[in-house]
Amino acid sequence: MICSFCGKEFDEQSARKACGRCSVMGGCHKVKCPHCDYEMPEEPRLVKWLRKLWNKRHDHAVR
Amino acid sequence: MSMQGMLRRFGRGRKAGTMPSAGEALGKILIVGSPNVGKSALFNRLTGQYVTVSNYPGTTVEICRGRSSILQRHFEVVDTPGIYSLCPITDEERVACRLVLTERAAAVVHVVDAKNIRRMLGLTLQLIEANLPVVLALNMADEARQLRIAIDADRLSTILGIPVVETIAISGGGMAELAAAIESVAQTKREAAGGEPVDYGAALERAVNTVAPTLGDDHGISRRTRALLLLQEDPAEASRVLGRRSPEHTDAVLQALHDARALLEHSPHYYATLALRGRSDRILDAAVCFPPRGRHSFRETLSRLCMHPLTGLPLLAAVLYFGLYVFVGKFGAGTMVDFIQETVFGRYVTPYVEQAVNALLPWPVWRDLFVGDYGIVTLGIRYAVAIVLPIVATFFIAFSILEDSGYLPRLAMLIDRVFKKIGLNGRAVIPIVLGFGCDTMATMVTRTLETKREKVIASLLLALAIPCSAQLGVIMGLLAGRPWALAVWAAFVTGVFLLTGFLAARLLPGQRPSFYMELPPLRLPRVGNVLVKTYSRMVWYFKEVLPLFILASVLIWLGKLTGVFDLAVDALKPVVGAIGLPDGAAKAFLFGFFRRDYGAAGLYELQKTAAMSGRQLVVAAITLTLFLPCIAQLLILKKERGWKMALTTSIGICVVALAVGWSANALLTVLKVTL
Repeated sequence: MICSFCGKEFDEQSARKACGRCSVMGGCHKVKCPHCDYEMPEEPRLVKWLRKLWNKRHDHAVR
Repeated sequence: MSMQGMLRRFGRGRKAGTMPSAGEALGKILIVGSPNVGKSALFNRLTGQYVTVSNYPGTTVEICRGRSSILQRHFEVVDTPGIYSLCPITDEERVACRLVLTERAAAVVHVVDAKNIRRMLGLTLQLIEANLPVVLALNMADEARQLRIAIDADRLSTILGIPVVETIAISGGGMAELAAAIESVAQTKREAAGGEPVDYGAALERAVNTVAPTLGDDHGISRRTRALLLLQEDPAEASRVLGRRSPEHTDAVLQALHDARALLEHSPHYYATLALRGRSDRILDAAVCFPPRGRHSFRETLSRLCMHPLTGLPLLAAVLYFGLYVFVGKFGAGTMVDFIQETVFGRYVTPYVEQAVNALLPWPVWRDLFVGDYGIVTLGIRYAVAIVLPIVATFFIAFSILEDSGYLPRLAMLIDRVFKKIGLNGRAVIPIVLGFGCDTMATMVTRTLETKREKVIASLLLALAIPCSAQLGVIMGLLAGRPWALAVWAAFVTGVFLLTGFLAARLLPGQRPSFYMELPPLRLPRVGNVLVKTYSRMVWYFKEVLPLFILASVLIWLGKLTGVFDLAVDALKPVVGAIGLPDGAAKAFLFGFFRRDYGAAGLYELQKTAAMSGRQLVVAAITLTLFLPCIAQLLILKKERGWKMALTTSIGICVVALAVGWSANALLTVLKVTL
């Protein structure tokens, strides 16, 4: 995902490693940018599902 | 020679006799660069369809490897994860750096997006400085030409001392030239880094020269690069250097690092970033012609205007006026709250639920829990859905627009100067901005600030003078029809914020760290992004706020049953009376301790019954903004800073909030100001 603050790209799963050092342990449902520490809410399942669907259709159209 | 002749992929067009025998060592071509510059497209062009994907040992980071034949020589091509610099932060970057610095590649192809070469040339300079066999691939060259960016590749090659090739990986453009460049660097014996070295300034150069002589040879990477990595506390380089040497040698390196750091006023990363950026700019001035006018120049002008104090502050005022006052305050807290509260809840939800509960529950005590004055539906859910939700929704829309446009990092630059006066720097804008969303989460983010002094000041300011989104929205709604009242509130809260920071900065000892960041481009916000961000934030907020509002209703119900609630309200009445507020405000202050927005919503309801004058509204809004943080923030403050700090802060905040409220009331009364 792309950080809303610094504009750099990072992997959402690897960014979650920061949760282990936090007292909320990921319960805040936020993702912290490893480059600048800005926090963004994680994408809800519905959005992830729609994004996946869109990407699949887009890839299919390109082929 | 044709492209097919120069570049033969093993997957397609394979010829007998060109395959390497089993066990034959292949030269490696590493493809490196920032994310989304076309590395994978270029990798596919070089390798074809036979590609293996495996995790890098000990990590979950996937690496793609393939084979390629260039001018009768066979190479293993490795597509590395995206990196922004040789000083890694994420796991993917760490793996990419490890591959670059330890794999002894025959060629390192640095792929850059030709349109954004200014942001990416710094990594090229680092790779050259590391003494790696670098080829610079200016990818998406066609798009750069369309934007009238003219890159003189030959001039750039001469200045950098490495081959520079224009490519269009998606269509295969420039691949023959790239193959020739790879072949030429792969054949050349590695010597000293080409081009003029980067001058990091006297301080960092002295520090590098202190550390570099203590380092031995390692994979042919220059000692200068390794000294810089050690100074920037790169853990991989530290383990490589310190883990394999004798204790005497390790001590010598550690002593040199200690001596070198003592020479630096700021972090080595700060000096290195500025020097690389400065050198990149000078190189690009000599080799690249950017369009003088057009879309980019307007953006750059606007970007500069946002950061300059003379123009940035009026722009910030305009953003706050239209974004917060008009959109959140008038539309969200006015029109939308009125509709949902009066029409949806007043006409439909509340009467229907009351009827249902009355029919189902014959016991008045249990009815009160759901539909009484402080019931779960009539207070908790109504506050969350009818008052807080429309306000946070409009706030999050405004915030997402600012976020997606790239305005926030420019705001950080703008307020860096002001923040320095109060003992913080522009980096603290991240927790402060996040505080407008939720102060509790923002308090946790303060741990990312560099010094303890900064952490303490930022936590104090968050607890005292930064209202969370819902509280801010409700206050905007409270004062929406009274612009002068809003101005008085803003003046008092800003004054307390600056004065507290100023005093704390003078009382707390410690260094003032530097702030720098690479600015992402300013752009028009995309509707899809704004909607996704707003929706994500609303889901997150609602998940957090609704259970707490319901819990507060249950606790108040229990308090009413036991009489504790009335006792607490009675105890607060003289306090709110002393600052000129009606008795009803005591309940709002008590609610505020559960959550600040809960208290603000209570105040909002009080205002709707016309129980407060303009002066009283301003005094209540000021006091509640500065009042005790909610329970969650207090617990996090204790966790982050300890009980002593949490208790001192809470007592201090109560005293300051009431003292400022009392002063505001006295001042407005003496001056006979009617708002």
